[in-house]
Amino acid sequence: MLTIGLTHYLVLAAMLFCFGVLVMITKRNAVGVLLGAELVLNASNVNLVAFSRYQIGTLDGQILALFGVVLAAAEAAVAIAIFVNYYHETRTIDVDRAAALRG
Amino acid sequence: MLSTQELLLIVATAIPLAAFVILAVFGSRLGKPLAGWCAVAAIAVSTVLAGVVLKQWLHGVRDEAHTFTWATLGRVPITVGLNLDALTVIMFFMVSLVSTCIFVFSVGYMAGHSDEIDGRSKYHRFFTFLCLFCFSMLGLVVSNSILFLFVFWELVGLCSYFLIGFYFHRKSASNAAIKAFVVNRVGDFGFLAGLMMVFHYLGDLSLAGAAAKFQAAYPGGELFTRSFLGLSLATWMGMLLFCGAIGKSAQFPLHVWLPDAMEGPTPVSALIHAATMVAAGVYLVARIFVLLTPEAQLFIAVIGCITLTIAALVAIVQTDIKKVLAYSTISQLGYMIFGMGVGAWIGALFHLLTHAFFKALMFLGSGQVIEGCHHEQDIRRMGGLIRKMPVTGVTFLVGVLAIAGAGIPGLHIGGVRLGLGGFFSKDEILAVAYQRAFRTEEADAPDARRSGPAERPPGEPAGAAASVNPRSEATADAASGLMAATFADAAPRRLSAHDAAAERTRDSSFTPFARHDRVGGETAVTPEGVPPVACIPAPLFWIPVLIAFVTPFYMMRCWWLTFMGKPRDRHVYEHAHETPLMGVPLVVLAIGTFVSSYAIFRPMVAQAAPAGFLCKTFNPERHHEEAERPAASREEGAESADHAVAAGLPVAADVHGRLSMIVGPAFVVGFFLAIAIYLRGLLVAGAIASSLRPLHTLLVRKFYFDELYGAVFVGGIMGLKSVCDWVDTHIVDGLVNLCGRVTRAFSSIAGNVLDRSGTYGVEPAAGEQAGRLGGFMMLAAVLAVAGIMLAYGATGAAIALLVMAWVALGIDGIVNDLARGAWQVATSLRAVQSGRIRQYVLFAAGSAAVVLLVLVLL
Repeated sequence: MLTIGLTHYLVLAAMLFCFGVLVMITKRNAVGVLLGAELVLNASNVNLVAFSRYQIGTLDGQILALFGVVLAAAEAAVAIAIFVNYYHETRTIDVDRAAALRG
Repeated sequence: MLSTQELLLIVATAIPLAAFVILAVFGSRLGKPLAGWCAVAAIAVSTVLAGVVLKQWLHGVRDEAHTFTWATLGRVPITVGLNLDALTVIMFFMVSLVSTCIFVFSVGYMAGHSDEIDGRSKYHRFFTFLCLFCFSMLGLVVSNSILFLFVFWELVGLCSYFLIGFYFHRKSASNAAIKAFVVNRVGDFGFLAGLMMVFHYLGDLSLAGAAAKFQAAYPGGELFTRSFLGLSLATWMGMLLFCGAIGKSAQFPLHVWLPDAMEGPTPVSALIHAATMVAAGVYLVARIFVLLTPEAQLFIAVIGCITLTIAALVAIVQTDIKKVLAYSTISQLGYMIFGMGVGAWIGALFHLLTHAFFKALMFLGSGQVIEGCHHEQDIRRMGGLIRKMPVTGVTFLVGVLAIAGAGIPGLHIGGVRLGLGGFFSKDEILAVAYQRAFRTEEADAPDARRSGPAERPPGEPAGAAASVNPRSEATADAASGLMAATFADAAPRRLSAHDAAAERTRDSSFTPFARHDRVGGETAVTPEGVPPVACIPAPLFWIPVLIAFVTPFYMMRCWWLTFMGKPRDRHVYEHAHETPLMGVPLVVLAIGTFVSSYAIFRPMVAQAAPAGFLCKTFNPERHHEEAERPAASREEGAESADHAVAAGLPVAADVHGRLSMIVGPAFVVGFFLAIAIYLRGLLVAGAIASSLRPLHTLLVRKFYFDELYGAVFVGGIMGLKSVCDWVDTHIVDGLVNLCGRVTRAFSSIAGNVLDRSGTYGVEPAAGEQAGRLGGFMMLAAVLAVAGIMLAYGATGAAIALLVMAWVALGIDGIVNDLARGAWQVATSLRAVQSGRIRQYVLFAAGSAAVVLLVLVLL
């Protein structure tokens, strides 16, 4: 028997965040990097909802999290559109080879 | 502490999972036949364990199920545990047994198939997913909460995606997999919404808990008092949960994925279409049956009825052997769902079990044929194969007889009735539909207090909670003990003794067409003030009966074209051969078809029949049993079925009664027609087809469902896309371009008037340095003059002088200096900007970590 409390959510969010960052750092596939970014975004969403639920008690956090979800969706759409175009250009989505913005 | 049976079932569920992990990790090293045999061994062990539990259960050993609270979400506890009842045990056994046959068959099937994609063997991948599939299905069967049901449900869907798309390099297979997945998502969306309603309104996700809360909420609860679009929330909840089954069990309007799913390897078709995925939908409805209101039940019945009709009609004209089987599966699933809708809970599940065997049998048979005929799937090019493949032909015929519901009504040999598969199960569904349609149980209202456990009147919360009331049953039985043991008589049996005589008189003039027994009316009100379950419209009985004539026709057509007659394609015929390894599962499944029709399966299902609440379940067996029993033993009422099982006796459930007069000859008529048309090959059929061209085209095009969905959904999305595209190019881009143009216009004016010598970004020449120094001195002089003017009050003149100086000296000098500074900083920072995203992330994370560290340390 385990009652889920704030700490659980925070630990979950922290783990998600770390995993996301790790994925972004280690993946060379652009889609993988995007997945990592999604994890990080969702970690923040979990935090928002958890704090809102356990500390504040209003629905502000949830609403903000919903914004986050929409934002993530939009971001994914744009990012994938970029990947597709990039792939058409270069036949690869390896982010290490996508260094056109190098200074 | 877990009981023995729980432990056995958990282990039996976990073994395929373990096999999945092992195959996923070491599969490629195990190699071609070994990986397959590894999977076979795993599922075989599961089957043995399931057999042990079934045996214990048949001997009356029933362990209590334990539940554990895993976590609490708000005030809703999430419980984990096994749903240990007769249905789970028998389903578990069926799934594992059929899976074992299919696995063995798969080893033989894959031996002759190329499994290389891009030069690498994918053989182990096939068995890996098969194992995961079995694990998901077994998990689905044992879960005791709707939440876990949903989790395993999704796993099953995922596995089907993997398996249908096993040959993913083939475009059609990959499309079919995506179609199956997406169409299922549509249904699952409804399921999820229903799940949320259960969570919100009932506050309990376990099956038993939800049922109890549902019952407690009646009739004053929010679920029943609030309504949406004229239907109560409870009805909506049931309908939404049922949406999941519409997707998984390929019901109208989401049936379109199943025929396409034939792109997968044939063993997968057998696994998905017989034992597992499609069964899951019916199983789900069986589990949520107690949460269904009469309106929701009617909805389910209508959906089932539409499905079975459409699919059976389309099956008539299919020429691909697997497509015929696919449509026949949809049609049979329609029967099951229809059965659920009309309250034939036992009949539907019984049909599910028998169907699992004979459909797996036929699919594997078709796999054998396709394999033997060198990947020929068109039945028009086969014929006469029985001489080349006797085992396949005969076992396939067993399946055809079973699905057609072949049997001889009224004939008993040594107490065993002669029939196969659908003869018992499908006809039971029809019998119940008959009873519901023509309301032979009109005595319900006054009988509410003493009706049996299975025929519970609508909405009698207190009584419904108790599962059995044997004594009242016994009273009812004694009153009309003389009644014949036919199903149609089951309801009148409950009338009092003097009514019984009149009832018999009426029965003697009984015809299925009579509607005179429709007494009482739908508005009759029980003493408890609860309206009785409305009877279903008569077409809901007649359409399935008509389709029962169609089923034998298209199945016999398929069998005859494949195995009988003259070979129509010499090449195919000469190539045909049987593989012994694939023959063994066929024989086992054929035996399973016989066994499932007679013993074990139906009694096990009947044991688990829910004490219906708002819903109506018919358990003819109990009435029938008790009618035959001596009065003394009737005390045991509900236990009777269990005892019969314990004694190992096949429980005879004569569901036919007089109904057999109309459904009984169905298979004869169907078979005769099919043989008459196809006896001399395809000529007669071709003539009929051309004389009925529009109808034939309609059927060949599958009622244009794919085209319709293509036009409405895909076309709709494409239309929306072009609208968005237009808005984007003309309005959004137009605005941006407008801004750009306006800016350019301004800047060209500004550039022409104010700045004639744009030298931005250009390294100043050496001569310019001196010039700029002079400029600065000039600026200082002008500033000094302006300051003096200002001090003497000539403000306007000072400003004019400053502006003139500004224009004359060129602000560009200062701007260029700023730009040059920025350029130098940028150049020095250039090394850091590698253009590599991962490096940036690392920088960002590192800086964040440093900031965090500083914050913590301070």
